[in-house]
Amino acid sequence: MTNDLRLSQFYPTRRRFLKTAAAAVSGLALSSCGWTLAQVRPKPPSNKKTGANKKLYIYTWSSYTDEDLLKSFTKETGIEVIVAVYDSNETMLAKIQIGGGADYSIIYPSDYMVRQMRDKGLLLELDQDRLIGLDNLLPQFQNPVYDPGNSYSVPLSWGTTGLIYNSKTLKQAPEDWDYLWEQQQVLSRRITLLDDVREVMGATLRMLGYSYNSQDPAQLEQAYKKLVSLKPTIASFSTDTWKEQILAGDLLVSMGYSADAVEVAKENPSLQYVIPRSGTSLWTDTMIIPASAPNRDAAYDWINFMLQPAVAAQVCERLNFATPNQVAIKQLPPKVSENLSLFPKESVLEKCERIIPLGKFNQVYDRYWTQLTSS
Amino acid sequence: MSTQISSPPTPPTPKSEPQASPTAGRWLGYLGLLGPAGIWLGLLLVLPTLVLFELSLVPGLEPGGLVNPSGLENYLRVFEPVNLLVMKRSLFFAGGTTVICLLLGFPVAYWIALLAPTKWRNLLLVGFVLPLWTSSLLRTYAWITILRYSGVLNTLLTSPNPWLSNLGLPTIPRLELLNDWPAVLIGMSYGYLPYMVLILYASLEKLDRRLLEAASDLGANPIQTFCQVTVPQTMPGIAAASLLVFITGLGDFVDPELLGGDSTMTISRLIYNQFLKTNQWGFGSALSMVLIMLVSIAIALLLKFGDRSAAS
Amino acid sequence: MAKSQLRVQRGFLWQGLFTLLMFFFMYLPILVLALYSFNQSRYSASWEGFTLAWYQKLFSDARILSALQNSLTVAFCAVGVSAVVGTLMAVGLARYRFPGRSLYRGISYLPLIIPDIAIAVATLIFLAVIQIRLSLWTIVASHVVFCLAYVGLIVSTRLADLNPHLEEAALDLGATPFQAFIKVLLPQLMPGIISGCLLAFVLSLDDFLIASFTAGSDATTLPLEIYSRIRTGVKPDINALSVVLMLVSGLVFLIAESIRYQSTEKRLK
Repeated sequence: MTNDLRLSQFYPTRRRFLKTAAAAVSGLALSSCGWTLAQVRPKPPSNKKTGANKKLYIYTWSSYTDEDLLKSFTKETGIEVIVAVYDSNETMLAKIQIGGGADYSIIYPSDYMVRQMRDKGLLLELDQDRLIGLDNLLPQFQNPVYDPGNSYSVPLSWGTTGLIYNSKTLKQAPEDWDYLWEQQQVLSRRITLLDDVREVMGATLRMLGYSYNSQDPAQLEQAYKKLVSLKPTIASFSTDTWKEQILAGDLLVSMGYSADAVEVAKENPSLQYVIPRSGTSLWTDTMIIPASAPNRDAAYDWINFMLQPAVAAQVCERLNFATPNQVAIKQLPPKVSENLSLFPKESVLEKCERIIPLGKFNQVYDRYWTQLTSS
Repeated sequence: MSTQISSPPTPPTPKSEPQASPTAGRWLGYLGLLGPAGIWLGLLLVLPTLVLFELSLVPGLEPGGLVNPSGLENYLRVFEPVNLLVMKRSLFFAGGTTVICLLLGFPVAYWIALLAPTKWRNLLLVGFVLPLWTSSLLRTYAWITILRYSGVLNTLLTSPNPWLSNLGLPTIPRLELLNDWPAVLIGMSYGYLPYMVLILYASLEKLDRRLLEAASDLGANPIQTFCQVTVPQTMPGIAAASLLVFITGLGDFVDPELLGGDSTMTISRLIYNQFLKTNQWGFGSALSMVLIMLVSIAIALLLKFGDRSAAS
Repeated sequence: MAKSQLRVQRGFLWQGLFTLLMFFFMYLPILVLALYSFNQSRYSASWEGFTLAWYQKLFSDARILSALQNSLTVAFCAVGVSAVVGTLMAVGLARYRFPGRSLYRGISYLPLIIPDIAIAVATLIFLAVIQIRLSLWTIVASHVVFCLAYVGLIVSTRLADLNPHLEEAALDLGATPFQAFIKVLLPQLMPGIISGCLLAFVLSLDDFLIASFTAGSDATTLPLEIYSRIRTGVKPDINALSVVLMLVSGLVFLIAESIRYQSTEKRLK
């Protein structure tokens, strides 16, 4: 009886392979003691004006650029813009460190990530003389806590995190995070939370009365247990996918960013945004120039372009994110500048907290997150 | 354990090898034929795997960190209960998909190979396998469209609801298949069914019809013929197909990620997250090595089973 | 034999029906995608009118077209390289006996066995270690690895079925080994090489994991683009894309099959 696929020949092959591999590996292990993995080396600025200076590579979030914006920049400066997108700060950091971040001249990290990247030496210190229009920013963004003096970053947009819900299908509107726990029966499997460890853990901590940046293991444990009890109700953890799902009617409540909330509300006005009573996170997205940027001049041009009040106003209206540029805010039509989802009242903002990087303690958060998503 | 070191698809070696070629020519032959592939595989497959193994021995390694192979903490972490749960889940999905594909694919392969008119056989087989040529991502996305809460299946299912409620009967509820394990099983089975059918077909086509006729002549009913003649004869094909589907299923990323939601974390998703989200490269490397080992165990088990049934 | 014929006929019926059902199962998602590519509605599952707008949007979408171009470049390059290297490897493995032969053979099967994610991760780490910048060519290099394995496997299988004496005869008639290879062995192997290449081509076009780990900043392949669109909110031009891909691959396959059919007919004549 002939077997067409004689698999048994694998057997001696694999044993020998494993033996050889083991020998090689022990050799490797003994030889190399202490080399650094995936180190990013800053590139010295290139002085020649080559054709490469006509291209600008940007790494950003999916909803921060659109064709019109890129076209108007190219028209103004003659530089071609190529955009790559990511959907989480951590993914961006990973990709930058892997490939040495070689091609991007502008990146859009969030505030806490700016600090992390600065500590890792990934950022270029900005030459303040080359930046035009920094004084147009709102006072609280001129010397932000995450980057004193805007020495490494320029704020581009800001907002809050909250709950977007379908006011037509839900009888009772949410007012706070604990709505999700209290209404589990109604909401079963039709809610999503953000796919972001600090946002989700932070929101739960806040609801329990603690800080978004708690480093107390007992508090984290409590928050983790709370989330585990909510898990059966959650359809998925998603930062972007929920938008389409809530518009299609699959979801009842989603945790999301204010900019995204405004976007979906434009499509379906019955989708409303609420900032939870116990407080939420206040985020700022910034533009930075990586230390290894190939085209610094174009990068400065881009930042100055985005700082122009006219551009900032247009972008705020079209792409639905709140701008920190007070001159631009004055140029906005009332229906945008008075939109409480985009520009909440001071009293609401006072309840918000910024997420700050926690250094080594981040690993504790990551551990809980991996456990939460794996179970 | 049989020590047949008979090489697998080897050409029956020519009775007289061209031994007359000079040594230099021989070495040129070696290098020319085997060199490029050897270098490529060595550089881009073997070496990376060894590096992977080395990194898995560095506890808490992150990019930019110092590589000092110092311990097995990453592997110990792999065996924590939550990660074992993830592995169990991966095995469940892979095994479940294999069983479903086998149950669905065998009749199809049987019909095409043995019962369909001969001139249509090739066309039928190709027709069945043609969807493989479209992007697997798009096919998975299609299942999202079908299985979601507001999707095709639910729309069809609940379409009689207006009449039912008018008649005072209970309405049909919507199925919540997406973002849970049923959707993952459906998506995976759909994706691997063509492979199963292809391999089973190859095996069934070589089945000697006369054996089946002989069995029925000797008084066996169809079930007996099936169990005692067809299945043993095609066992190598069944084993190979099952192994292929199982291994591919173990490493599947797209289906659990897009169809599964938050309670279907599998090994490949976990590994993906370690490298592109939480930056835990040490732990991720250890998980990858464990995955490779799981696959090797599956193959080794199958070989043992194969050798034993071949010997019988 | 009448009883067995009757039995066969009954089997024909219910198994035929089952097979028909399975065919429907296979094509259901594709039909759904095709249907929705003409649906005017963006979000709801109900039909809201016929439109070709999504197809128009697809063909004017620069990102998808450039991703498609990248994917095709990667696939053609990877398959081109692995066709040559893989065939050489298969022939070498079949012809020569040397110490470490089973090891070599085992390694050549590894890409078929090791799950994609592990290969992707290992390649990523390796590229990070030797500090090579990620780009389109890093994707090509990593695709060659598994394309090699597939081409090698299929060509080996074909080699097993060949008549070994033809090559000997050529050598006896005075051909150099090189000539014997080109004029005798290669034509015989060609069907195997071609089917190996077709398989490798499809797999390379469809690869998601390896590309997502080894792609550089401007090297988006089609699966990466599709994945990011599925995640960030699908517009129905993805449906249009899938229909187009399906039609094109069906067409390509028909052409390939008719070529093969014609060459078989020619050989039989």
